[in-house]
Amino acid sequence: MVEILIDGRTLCVAEGTTVLGAARLAGIDIPHFCYHPAFPPEGSCRMCLVEIEGQPKLELACSTVVRAGLKILTASPQVVSARRDVLELFLAEHPLDCPICDKAGECLLQDYYEAHGRFSGRFREAREKREKLVRIGRRLLLDRERCVLCTRCVRFLAAYTGTEELGVVERGVRTEIGTFEDRPVDNSYSGNLVDLCPVGAITAIDFRFRTRTWFLERKPSLCPKCGRGCNIFVDIVCGYPLPPGGRRLFRIRPRENPDVNGYWICDIGRYAYLAELTENRRTQAALVRYGEETPLSMTEALGRMAAALKAADREGRPERVAVVLNSSLTNEELARAREFFVGRLGVKKLAFADPLLDRADGRLLTAERCANARGAAGAGFAAADLDLKAWADGTDCVLLFGSHLLDHQRLEEIQGVLAKVKFKALFAAQRTPLDGSVDIIVPVSLAAEKEGHLTNVDGRVQPFKPVWPAAGDSLAEGAVFDRLREELG
Amino acid sequence: MTDRVLSDAYPEGGFWHLEAYLKSGGYEAARKALSGMKPEAVVDEVKRASLRGRGGAGFPAGVKWSFVPRTTDKPVYVCVNADEGEPGTAKDRAILTHNPHAVLEGLLIIAFAVGAHDAYIYIRGEYEALARRLEGAIGEAEKKGFLGARVLGLDFRLDVAVHRGAGAYICGEETALLESIEGRRGEPRLKPPFPALVGLFQAPTVINNVETVACVPLIIRHGADWFVKQGLPRDGGTRVFTVSGAVVRPGLYELPLGTTLRELIFVHAGGLRPGRTLKAVIPGGLSAPLLRADEVDLPLDFDSLAKSGSMLGSAAVIVLDDTASMLTVLNVIARFYAHESCGQCTPCRLGTAWIRKAVTRLVEGLGEARDLDEIVRVAEAIKGRTLCPLGDAAALPTIALVTKFRGELEAALHG
Amino acid sequence: MSLTLSAGAMASVEAAERRYPRPQAALLPILQIIQTELGYIPVEAEIWAAERLGLPPVRVREVMSFYTLLRRRKPGRHIVQVCRNLSCTLNGAEDLLSRLAEKWGVRPGETSADGRFSLLTVECLGNCPEAPCLQVDDADYGKVTAQALDEILTGLD
Repeated sequence: MVEILIDGRTLCVAEGTTVLGAARLAGIDIPHFCYHPAFPPEGSCRMCLVEIEGQPKLELACSTVVRAGLKILTASPQVVSARRDVLELFLAEHPLDCPICDKAGECLLQDYYEAHGRFSGRFREAREKREKLVRIGRRLLLDRERCVLCTRCVRFLAAYTGTEELGVVERGVRTEIGTFEDRPVDNSYSGNLVDLCPVGAITAIDFRFRTRTWFLERKPSLCPKCGRGCNIFVDIVCGYPLPPGGRRLFRIRPRENPDVNGYWICDIGRYAYLAELTENRRTQAALVRYGEETPLSMTEALGRMAAALKAADREGRPERVAVVLNSSLTNEELARAREFFVGRLGVKKLAFADPLLDRADGRLLTAERCANARGAAGAGFAAADLDLKAWADGTDCVLLFGSHLLDHQRLEEIQGVLAKVKFKALFAAQRTPLDGSVDIIVPVSLAAEKEGHLTNVDGRVQPFKPVWPAAGDSLAEGAVFDRLREELG
Repeated sequence: MTDRVLSDAYPEGGFWHLEAYLKSGGYEAARKALSGMKPEAVVDEVKRASLRGRGGAGFPAGVKWSFVPRTTDKPVYVCVNADEGEPGTAKDRAILTHNPHAVLEGLLIIAFAVGAHDAYIYIRGEYEALARRLEGAIGEAEKKGFLGARVLGLDFRLDVAVHRGAGAYICGEETALLESIEGRRGEPRLKPPFPALVGLFQAPTVINNVETVACVPLIIRHGADWFVKQGLPRDGGTRVFTVSGAVVRPGLYELPLGTTLRELIFVHAGGLRPGRTLKAVIPGGLSAPLLRADEVDLPLDFDSLAKSGSMLGSAAVIVLDDTASMLTVLNVIARFYAHESCGQCTPCRLGTAWIRKAVTRLVEGLGEARDLDEIVRVAEAIKGRTLCPLGDAAALPTIALVTKFRGELEAALHG
Repeated sequence: MSLTLSAGAMASVEAAERRYPRPQAALLPILQIIQTELGYIPVEAEIWAAERLGLPPVRVREVMSFYTLLRRRKPGRHIVQVCRNLSCTLNGAEDLLSRLAEKWGVRPGETSADGRFSLLTVECLGNCPEAPCLQVDDADYGKVTAQALDEILTGLD
């Protein structure tokens, strides 16, 4: 441990800590653009200059490592003056885009102006004209006038993804971020660039002009798209005013967790999961007859289901019931499923249908593409091959949780088998190709609407709470098990 | 080899050939060092000689070499800085043209002193013909065993390669030079770590200017005491001064450190043209704050010039007479640093560009007195805040010029 | 990406690659070899160099766009560089540029109509005692008068 003095206060920090890190421990936020804890110090923005006793010039907090007895001043007149000067230079070259810039409200330049600036601009020269709408990727826009050349984006694509699509081109004041010719940023972590960018230079097309950041509340949750269990924030509009169309969910962003996902999430969680949460949702139960759907109340739907289960139960014929679960259920739901189906009903034909294993990407994305495979294993469910035909033999009642059966069997085969089953119900959050092959469809919640615990690929059990109410009539699977159990007694 | 880096070397014309170089004692110092001295002794001798870096920074060469670790599992590199970008400077061009073997011999001694077996001579891209001559000299040296696998028949290898720059003043800064050799943009690195520990290809590296390197054989041959006596106790040897501008005899003058500026200009460079008066002198390249005519009575050495608020730098003396427009001078300064700023750090990238725009407006007759205040303010904002010395190189001359010639600049604002 | 270089140029490329312990260090020499051969460095050459050295192409573009001597467009048959720094400006560089504009119709950054030469201004050629200075291809000229300039340009093929 090293003892230092920072703004007159004594502080003990671990060896190797930078002045910036030490300051943060002391609750002092030294402004900086180019520094990011994921990468080694860059030292180019010059915002984090601080005064160190005994040094003739101001030093960078981001790259200066503490030594015993170091005396640091983070707000001396010299430091304040340097900060203002650097800030003023940034602002002199920065367009007055705040009213139309998506980053407003979470922009470091704005924040630093509030905290360290508040001066009127004195520069009379014209700014450089640069391109403002550069499509650098399928989902990304670059505004070169706003760019402060912190190079976080370039360094991320070199150090983390290794894809190196962006570079620093030209020289002097004409320096800008660019790609090689029109080759776009194309990797599965591209969305992190939007978060990384301290200003509104790199923005997300799907977020452009949609809402304002101060309308959003960020709610912690977990991403259920693979076994990593990346910690996320789900940004939603809480309360008044609601945007036109009533859309409430706008963004999924990483929630820092050094033990799970570090600072990042992959684009599947960021975009695909977002789409799942907002598009194509089933919000009402439905009765399916001759390919036509009729809305049902949940009570009715669950009532019919309970009736079918009761019949098998009364006759002491649990082999007439087949249940296909999936590994997105929480640990609690899995326990209740076991209790109800295996314990209470004695169901033997119980299997899991999950998304197919895919390639792990060597970073966050795991081979398993469901949230709680470990949880399922932990709940005593063994992975078993599902022989659909044998399984359907002598079955009156099939309960399908999720439609991932389609990942393992062709639709025609499934349809053929289900056609011979008297009662089949599908529990799904969205419309699926299986909809026409069942009798009852019950809407279920997605992870963001549930609570419980998920066990990730490393065996880490992570809790999560709902970030917004379930869509329409949908229920969490656990609640479905409880309701059915109630009905059966 | 002679007693001077340059002056005695080139009148003969063909001195750059190995044969001529050998005839006057060339490579004797190298032989003395490699077969008769310990590497540490070489470093000590050069330290005692008070050889200060002649590229601009003036850092004591022997001290720099002593930072290279004695034992390391990494290779050690030596780089010769032949980027010569400091405006006003033409000495390294002349040394490489007329006395390249002095540079190679010096390089050999340095490599021996720090344990290096691979060296690169970084030569600015504009010196294309010179690079070829240098490669020729290296070829001659290799053929005769002064470079290559077994130097001087000893168990010592030194391979030297020429690496050409491609038009960037910033690559004269030692870490930008390393970046450029490594195939990247010439963007200076954060220091610490210093190149002596983490340099070329992340290995310990010594970088020295051409003239500095060319002095080394003289020191080994004649001894540190001799070298110091050629100059001053804290600033040994001679300097090759480049004199240009409003003088009768612009050229290169190799003179002892401590020679007065007045003697250099009025005795050696022939003084001003008939009828002209002295207005100002830039003593150490464009990056050195200028001196008014009444400030030029001082000796030319690092410490004296530093005390005067300027610097010896690359010893490039640019003389300005009464026909020189200070607004034009300001314009050249503003344009140069804005053009050469690498763009990496904020104050230099944005500050030099802003100053250039403001000065352009002044030159076009659209300026006011308060613009001069603003220019100084922005220069102060750059000063001491940048990642590398180019920031100060832009700021200090600007501040000095506007401050010392405020009256003339204001008068020039309106036609 | 294929690129046709002469045998001599390819030999130089290979020699350059042998001079460094890391492939990327050969980038600048290789670009300069290509430029000597073709007069400039087309996009295909950037890709070729990147693939050869195992670099993402944007790393080549970063270098291309940083160094002023590297050209992306085909210049005139000769390159004329006029220094505009202090000693040269004090000794008539601007007059030379005016002459080039008025008599020869070429401004900095432009190529003469007959394609004989491209004009660039540079910041200090390192030849200051000979101000005003010019460089035509790899030849240096000092103390250049208007007449000398005309002679030099007339003599270009």
